Amino acid sequence: MSAILEQKCPCCGGAVEFDSGVQKLKCPYCDTEFDITAMPEDTANQVEQINWNSQGAQWGAGETDGMSVYSCNSCGGEIVADTTTGATTCPYCGNQVVMKGQFSGALKPDLVIPFKLDKKAAKEALKKHISTKKFVPKSFLTDNRLEEIKGVYVPHWLFTCDAIGNANYKAKKVKTWSDENYEYTETSYFDIYRSGNIGFDNIPVDGSTKMPDDLMESVEPFDLSQAVDFNTAYLAGYLADKYDVTAEESMPRANERIRQSIIDSFKETVKGYDEVENQSANMNVANGIYKYALYPVWLLNTKWNGENFTFAMNGQTGKFVGNIPTDKKAVTKASLLLGAGIGAVIYGLLWLIELL
Amino acid sequence: MAKKFLAIIIAALICVSFVFSASAYTQQYVIDYADKLSSSEIEELDLFAEKLESAYGVTVLFCITEGTGDVTADEFSSETYGDYTDNENGIIIVHDDWNKSYSVFTSGNADEAFSDAAVDSMKDAYDLNESYYGGIYACYELAEEYLENGYSGGYIYDEEPLNNDTDTIGASEEKDGVSIIWLPVSLLIGLLVGFLIINGIASKNKSVKMQENATVYTRPGSMVITGSADNFLYNNVERREKPKQTENKNN
Repeated sequence: MSAILEQKCPCCGGAVEFDSGVQKLKCPYCDTEFDITAMPEDTANQVEQINWNSQGAQWGAGETDGMSVYSCNSCGGEIVADTTTGATTCPYCGNQVVMKGQFSGALKPDLVIPFKLDKKAAKEALKKHISTKKFVPKSFLTDNRLEEIKGVYVPHWLFTCDAIGNANYKAKKVKTWSDENYEYTETSYFDIYRSGNIGFDNIPVDGSTKMPDDLMESVEPFDLSQAVDFNTAYLAGYLADKYDVTAEESMPRANERIRQSIIDSFKETVKGYDEVENQSANMNVANGIYKYALYPVWLLNTKWNGENFTFAMNGQTGKFVGNIPTDKKAVTKASLLLGAGIGAVIYGLLWLIELL
Repeated sequence: MAKKFLAIIIAALICVSFVFSASAYTQQYVIDYADKLSSSEIEELDLFAEKLESAYGVTVLFCITEGTGDVTADEFSSETYGDYTDNENGIIIVHDDWNKSYSVFTSGNADEAFSDAAVDSMKDAYDLNESYYGGIYACYELAEEYLENGYSGGYIYDEEPLNNDTDTIGASEEKDGVSIIWLPVSLLIGLLVGFLIINGIASKNKSVKMQENATVYTRPGSMVITGSADNFLYNNVERREKPKQTENKNN
């Protein structure tokens, strides 16, 4: 059983949305603005019990696994969503709804970073992202259609810890000198050891299987100093998912990044060598704590030649990422032209040197 | 990524160096039966002679020997010429270091370029130089001058007019400058560099990737190194002989 929450305007009754520009709730019908704290988290009138089991007779065994059915408070329409959906839009009346049950009790996020940038900024960022890239197929620039743009609060686990580690490196020093008859090269090899502690704060790990991990890590970092305590009001107007990857399942990824950080950070203290290569590393974590947070991400889906392209923008900082197809013919042509030009210049320089 | 890039460049340079070495040193022009020259000197002189052959189509051989065995000096020079080249246009100067004598064999158009007076001047240049290497090098410089004069319709050493038809002197299309063999080498290098630059630009179209570490989330000032050791393991020394520039004839 779940409950859904709609943030209603106290003035006109319209569904209000979170406005990233003014960082307040705003009614799109009467333009009234409200502080987040002024809105009730929950009221008896806004809560409705949903019995998705009532549809059970129609579904076969296991068919409703991973699916939930909600009724829209405004129009009564049935909203079918998967069990991780925390906020969405009613497909019938367009009202923004929050599945309150997804964020209650133990599932309640500790923090949320509100959207700072709106849909328009995301669209402009996409345009800029594509236009600044080279060797993009011309038809991608003209035929590429923006299929969908959505602001999503993506669940993340944030890991804070003190890491204690050690690492071994193999280092090399090269010295050269010469006398009247010979040139000498002396290569000296060293075994380097470093141990120490490093503290890490709020390393994020994507807690949703729906979101590609590489896409989510590419829009990092987020500024957690601007995070606020979770309030469902921030979700109005956006999509939101609850986590479906647990903190325990996310820990190996956090550990992997911490381990590599130890190797890289300790390596910076190894100085005076010509080459340094890591051989091994060990790590222990102390005082480890984790938090549950929602991070704002704009997702933009485009379609070109029957292929889907997903772009993401950090809803707080505006960092925009997304792979763009490359025109291989154009790359080959440019490589040949540039190569021929450079070759001609080299040959010309050889002639000049010879003639001079 | 940087390592991969470096590996590609090194591999390419090795390939190019193979092309260079293969193209630059394929035939022997200086024959040292008397063992008076180092291998690097011979290589350098060979490159000079190869340049002459490439530019003028005339092979210029130089041989140092200590005696000519059972054959006469003239037979020795003609046989040695035939042993080392198939070019019908060419000259070989044989210096018998033991008997302090010379024998010269010319073939084809080289007869016109190298008159008796020209050959004598080359012998003088060789004799006047202190080292074998320097002497042969001076000979090749004179040979280049005579061939150039002949090629451009000028006059050779003894002031007899040369045949102005370039075909009679050299088969090469180039008068001077860089051998045509450097053109594909330059293009190869250019294509490689062009490929790396363009692909570097194109790779920026991919901006989605996993983060390697979490250093951006390091707590400021939290890193403390508690243990540190730099232990020497071993070393090795490689010694390489420097290329020798000259060798004194009198030694």
